[in-house]
Amino acid sequence: MQSLDRMLAEFAKQKLEKQTRRHFLMDCVAKVGGLAMAPLMFGCGTGTSAGSTGLNLSQRDLNPLSPLPPPYGAKAKSIIYLHMAGAPSQLELFDYKPELAKYHNQPAPQSLLEGKKFAFIRGTPNLLGPQANFSQHGESGAWISDFMPHFQKLADEVSFLKAVHTDQFNHGPAQLLMQTGSARLGRPSIGSWVTYGLGTENQNLPGFVVLTSGGKTPDAGKSVWGSGFLPSVYQGVQCRSKGDPVLYLDDPVGMSRNLKKNVIDAINTVNKEEFDAYGDPEILARINQYEMAYRMQIEVPEVMNINDEPKAVHELYGTNPGTESFANNCLLARKLVEKGVRFVQLYDWGWDTHGTDHDGSIDMGLRNKCREMDRPVSALLLDLKQRGMLEDTLVVWGGEFGRTPMQENREGKTQSFLGRDHHGDAFTMWMAGGGIKPGVTYGRTDDFGFSGIEDKVSVHDIHATILHLMGFDHEEFTYEFQGRPFRLTDVEGELINKILA
Amino acid sequence: MIDFILPLFGRFHPILVHLPIGFLVFGVILIFWSRKNITTYLPILSLSFFLGGLFAALASISGFLQYKNEGYSWDTVKIHLILGIITAILSLLIWYRMKYSVANPKALKLQGLGLLVILTTTGHLGGNITHGDDYFTEVLPPDLQAFLGGESGIAKPLELPANNWEEVEFYTGAIQPILDQNCKSCHNPKKLKGELDLTSFKGIHKGGEDGAILENGNPEKSSLYSRLVLSEDDDDHMPPKDKRQPRKEEIELIKAWIESGSSEKSKLGDAAINVSMVEPFFKKDEKPFYPVVEVEKLPQDSISKLRELGFFAEIIKKDSPFLKVSCINFPAFSDADWSLLLSAKEQIVYLDLTGTAVTDSILAQIATLPSLTVLKLNQTAIEGADLGKLVENKNLKLLYFNDTNVSFDKLGALDGHPTLEKVFAFETPAADSGSSSQFTFHLETGNLSLPVLATDTIVY
Repeated sequence: MQSLDRMLAEFAKQKLEKQTRRHFLMDCVAKVGGLAMAPLMFGCGTGTSAGSTGLNLSQRDLNPLSPLPPPYGAKAKSIIYLHMAGAPSQLELFDYKPELAKYHNQPAPQSLLEGKKFAFIRGTPNLLGPQANFSQHGESGAWISDFMPHFQKLADEVSFLKAVHTDQFNHGPAQLLMQTGSARLGRPSIGSWVTYGLGTENQNLPGFVVLTSGGKTPDAGKSVWGSGFLPSVYQGVQCRSKGDPVLYLDDPVGMSRNLKKNVIDAINTVNKEEFDAYGDPEILARINQYEMAYRMQIEVPEVMNINDEPKAVHELYGTNPGTESFANNCLLARKLVEKGVRFVQLYDWGWDTHGTDHDGSIDMGLRNKCREMDRPVSALLLDLKQRGMLEDTLVVWGGEFGRTPMQENREGKTQSFLGRDHHGDAFTMWMAGGGIKPGVTYGRTDDFGFSGIEDKVSVHDIHATILHLMGFDHEEFTYEFQGRPFRLTDVEGELINKILA
Repeated sequence: MIDFILPLFGRFHPILVHLPIGFLVFGVILIFWSRKNITTYLPILSLSFFLGGLFAALASISGFLQYKNEGYSWDTVKIHLILGIITAILSLLIWYRMKYSVANPKALKLQGLGLLVILTTTGHLGGNITHGDDYFTEVLPPDLQAFLGGESGIAKPLELPANNWEEVEFYTGAIQPILDQNCKSCHNPKKLKGELDLTSFKGIHKGGEDGAILENGNPEKSSLYSRLVLSEDDDDHMPPKDKRQPRKEEIELIKAWIESGSSEKSKLGDAAINVSMVEPFFKKDEKPFYPVVEVEKLPQDSISKLRELGFFAEIIKKDSPFLKVSCINFPAFSDADWSLLLSAKEQIVYLDLTGTAVTDSILAQIATLPSLTVLKLNQTAIEGADLGKLVENKNLKLLYFNDTNVSFDKLGALDGHPTLEKVFAFETPAADSGSSSQFTFHLETGNLSLPVLATDTIVY
């Protein structure tokens, strides 16, 4: 009964939310045929000024991005999430498998393949030994390959999760699962949850910024930074490092900033009158957002401009202003977090190394891709460290799944390049910064790197841990939708205690 | 047919007990009230002691019946019952003496006071049975409770030694502490809700009014486990919805104990449990980042006011008095604006003045913030002349002045700061000087770089 009541209440609320003034007028014209009826139908709404009758408005009603305290002590105030879209091969980067090298080019044992599904592999593929040279680094002795020579020096700054697993083996669903906690559309992304829960520090910038590189947005589309059933103000704002940072941000030709201000003031005056008449807090939120957009016009181009950065910074990151690159995005991520942005999400496309062509080959294409990622990521960590930002910024790195220890045999044929198929049973991710214990390697995979055999970690566990570091209990942080409370981790997720400082 | 009479009469005990209290207290007051002309009041006095004694006797009888019929243990009611009977006898004795011998005011006063003491003790013990013996202490501040000693309200949470947890006895060392913390307040020998005692191995194996609560090796069929994992809305869910709920890990341990055969003597190491199950109970000597002091909470109005002034202001976590303040949208903030922050002086633990117009003279003001833990002065005109003032901030842990004109010689003033852990001085003369004195804090001078490698330019 209780849940039925809740559903009815939610239905009524949603219906009201969708009922704009225009709908109402239209309804009146169609069904009643006269505006005269309006006051009668709205009854309690019209004539009284709700704004002055002590309507209890929270700051959240007026400004959906206004800050809220975390329920528990937070270790991090911001997150930079580096998503390598397409899924990089853990077997060439972090998960060193000397045994696999011994069986290179031999048919994979049937016991490995039984009951498993692959995106492209058919029949019995051959095993593919690691194509990179591995060595141990730092006091922690973490294994990092020569595909990432710069990152090798940062081994003691990060905490590796070597046995992450996902139940999705196609890009779209896997990216959705990784970013929203569900392989199906319609759930809010991590960044949306976090900005919904905490608001944002800088009221002149969006709380959740998305930067993409690699020439393509993720396969799952913009839903990976969508707000799902949360109010749309919490969705990620995509900014570009090339051209206008935000589309349509610049004033049109012939429109001066003063004129723009006048327009916004006029709209706000009308809205204010509307609010006085109806007392709907949504109107106040709208007024606030017009003003924020106006302020953003100045602040966003400023923070998104990397032309004036010192030479040393450009050398550190390997940045090249005016282009769209992962390096530029890494530098922007630091600048945005420095300016009080809550969640910066980077997507770098081009890690899908099936071995179908040169760019998608494990020994060449992947190496090129690593070269473009190695320096910027290492630079980002160093830069955050030297500015003291690593104290309260959480950095997460990973793809949506891993890759097979077998050579891909698309359509059963031998391929001309070395490549690996999608694989969700075991892959590597790492975290660093706010609240993470540095220099930990958690989890272990079998001798082929096919499955996790110790300390396995699910995508939900990662979400639980991220929320924990931001000051939430993932089981308590819910949003009422369709008659039940929803969580980022749904009904799963365990804290990864071992990597917490 | 009349079996019910006795238990019914027993149930009148809580009503009857108040009558002797009223009569007898009234009687004792009257003894003192009457002063020298006690004879005038004698009829009323003797009546009140007679009625007091009579009802005390009835209360004792009904109390005894209740003890017999309602499942109280003898140990619980023993002293209460004996004192109740003594109260009845003494009252009647006093009445008898008043009636049949000459009243001696002095002796009466003494007898009255003695009776009052016994009466109060009896009443208090009775209250303990119904309301629990922590009825008064429960509402006291925790410190005072600890000072008064005895049993404080809640048992301590389970803690296990990290190095030899295998040797801990599963029942005594883990299960009983969990039950003590979560179940004891209702299921103890005194309260026995549902006729269940969860404070001893015997009690657990005996079960409650619905029979056994344990089926060895089968947690799903043992209500000691299964009722814990029911939905909170379920009427059978335990502990009741409004009470403290056990942690997931605690429930898991109970499950594992039942699975392992729920024996009394086995060790944690003998059961099929791994480290991850007991790890959450390992003792952690984690020091909280922000200070642990009692500070008054700032009213929400004051926080809103700070926001209206242009500050980012938010408490560090729900229900905490401590405040995080940043000038991220208030770049014009200058030394003269300090007074705007005075209302939150006690509460500020995190102050970010990055990019504002403050100068060295603000440091003397900042030094007056007692709880300040993180201070950011990046991109300001600070030169560090007054940096030594920050020694006054007894909780300061992180200090940032990246991109300022602070020179190396100014840092010495902070050497020996008892709490300061890290100082960030990237892009300052201090960092560029290349000097490397050892301080009690870690000095981050930055200028980190990545080498140029041959592989940086090789395209495969």
